[in-house]
Amino acid sequence: MKMVLSQRQREELNQAIADYLGSSGYSETLDVFRKEADVSTENEKKFNGLLEKKWTSVIRLQKKVMELEAKLSEAEKEVIEGAPTKAKRSPGEWIPRPPEKFSLTGHRASITRVAFHPIFGLMVSSSEDATIKVWDFETGEYERSLKGHTDSVQDVAFDAQGKFLVSCSADLSIKLWDFQQSYECVKTMHGHDHNVSSVAFVPAGDYVISASRDKTIKMWEVATGYCVKTYTGHREWVRMVRVHVDGSIFASCSNDHCIRIWLTNTKDCKVELRDHDHTVECIAWAPELSTAAINEGTGADNKKGHHQGPFLASGSRDKTIRVWDVGAGICLFTLNGHDNWVRGLSFHPGGKYLISSSDDKTIRVWDLRNKRCMKTLYAHQHFCTSVDFHKTHPFVISGSVDQTVKVWECR
Amino acid sequence: MNPCAVPTQRPDVDGDERWICIHRRFLSECREKDPDVIFLGDCVLETLQDSETWNQYFAPLHCLNFSIRGDRTENVLWRVENGELDNVKPKIVVLHVGTNNTENSAEQIAEGIVEIVHRIRSKLPDTYIVLPTLLPRGQLPNKLREKNEKVNQIVKEKTIGLNQVQTVCIGKGLLQTDNTISHHDMFDYKNLTNSGAKKAFEPVHDLLSQILNENEPEKDLTPSE
Repeated sequence: MKMVLSQRQREELNQAIADYLGSSGYSETLDVFRKEADVSTENEKKFNGLLEKKWTSVIRLQKKVMELEAKLSEAEKEVIEGAPTKAKRSPGEWIPRPPEKFSLTGHRASITRVAFHPIFGLMVSSSEDATIKVWDFETGEYERSLKGHTDSVQDVAFDAQGKFLVSCSADLSIKLWDFQQSYECVKTMHGHDHNVSSVAFVPAGDYVISASRDKTIKMWEVATGYCVKTYTGHREWVRMVRVHVDGSIFASCSNDHCIRIWLTNTKDCKVELRDHDHTVECIAWAPELSTAAINEGTGADNKKGHHQGPFLASGSRDKTIRVWDVGAGICLFTLNGHDNWVRGLSFHPGGKYLISSSDDKTIRVWDLRNKRCMKTLYAHQHFCTSVDFHKTHPFVISGSVDQTVKVWECR
Repeated sequence: MNPCAVPTQRPDVDGDERWICIHRRFLSECREKDPDVIFLGDCVLETLQDSETWNQYFAPLHCLNFSIRGDRTENVLWRVENGELDNVKPKIVVLHVGTNNTENSAEQIAEGIVEIVHRIRSKLPDTYIVLPTLLPRGQLPNKLREKNEKVNQIVKEKTIGLNQVQTVCIGKGLLQTDNTISHHDMFDYKNLTNSGAKKAFEPVHDLLSQILNENEPEKDLTPSE
């Protein structure tokens, strides 16, 4: 790219350089420069800091241009290709599309997690306002608040039947809530020494696993409320824990940049997955149906180098999403595109797509087969902290630091 | 003894213990959050977080704002000594304090600021410390404006050789040609409005994003033709 300056522009540039040299104290260079470039000694005010200003603002403008170009191409695509009509949409292909169906307000602080009820038309949101709220995602109605925690609620999870909800909080406790009748807290479990960041049920529903900033992971018996196992190994704050669908293994991620896979029954760490170069914020197990798409994405020859899995996706503050073959202990591929921390992940139940939420305020839909971002939703006004995909109905929910919960319909 | 450089709690003049309660809230935020940037200081930074500039420029950087209205250097020093930087590992601390030390001399205030810088450094050896200059105050030129100017000079000289410590001049665009300050920029001639915040804190934002992105692979930003 060849640039030609006009006479006037060249003079202005020289003035700006002279101002820069002068204000930075390069007085000898300045003298010589003035002589050589024939720049007058009186410095006009409008050249003060001009060079620095251009230096930074050009980059900023270019960034903005790129952002706008991306938005435009997205909008064009939406207009030209359009979304399939309601009748044509199929559960394997539907993806969330703007605008949101509902924007739910009521929380008084950042939303930390959103989760669908596995059976009923309900969803829950947890917040730094110390409450959990229950919503009807089909009508957008507020149902009730679950109060009991005394500090930020960090994570919530249902058991497979949706009879119980478990929650964990910065108040160091883990609470079990009855979801069949009373919606009351039926058990409170203590044992972690620091902020409890994540909880999950094992598939059978008889145990709960929790992760904490105290670097440990603990297993709790639901019937008694006792801590039955402690898993140690992470060197830093453990961010999230998620149990594999068969229950024999679970995964955790941490500020120590690692993901660990643990054998549920023995306290042993089966494998440590390293490749991220910043805190790993979130993880999600791929459903069985994803196997074909992930293998195609890997580019593996399906007869020879077929990956068996199980497969796990991870999102990190290094702005990337990685997909791992846990059985082999290797990273298969990386998804780049988010401009800020990746905070939430959820697989499409059809297995072809992965949904992510990020501090760049967007939700993105990733096509695993082609390893590319196929849709970007400018979802919230602030960090988008969490996202969940309904297993059977065409809905996605998201939560944000902007204190809203949004329901997105898939088409 | 220089009163600006001795850690001191704010006296509870009103009798409602607000100051210490705010401090405790900051401590609990330290335990919970994991900020990349911490703002530390007085009313100027405190009111900044109500501005559009904050939402647009600073909120996406993962910031916490530990600023209390009316704080003086000795109060901030006390807060640093009493846990506000424990449990966190920010990449950058932004410090603006001193404009409320109205009865102290410029030398004393500067010494207080430098003392805070040293305390931050001993708690966070690898963190960048960014010092926006003290803003001018008052609609018309006055003694306090001159003093803040002098503080800025001394602080700049004293910190010039320090590693990962940088002063940023932020007051330039606020003075009008007749040296008055407009209420459109500073609503009370001390704290910033939306438009004032944009003028003053844009350079700080540029610096912060440069520091935060320093170690990332450079993207080609040349627009396609």
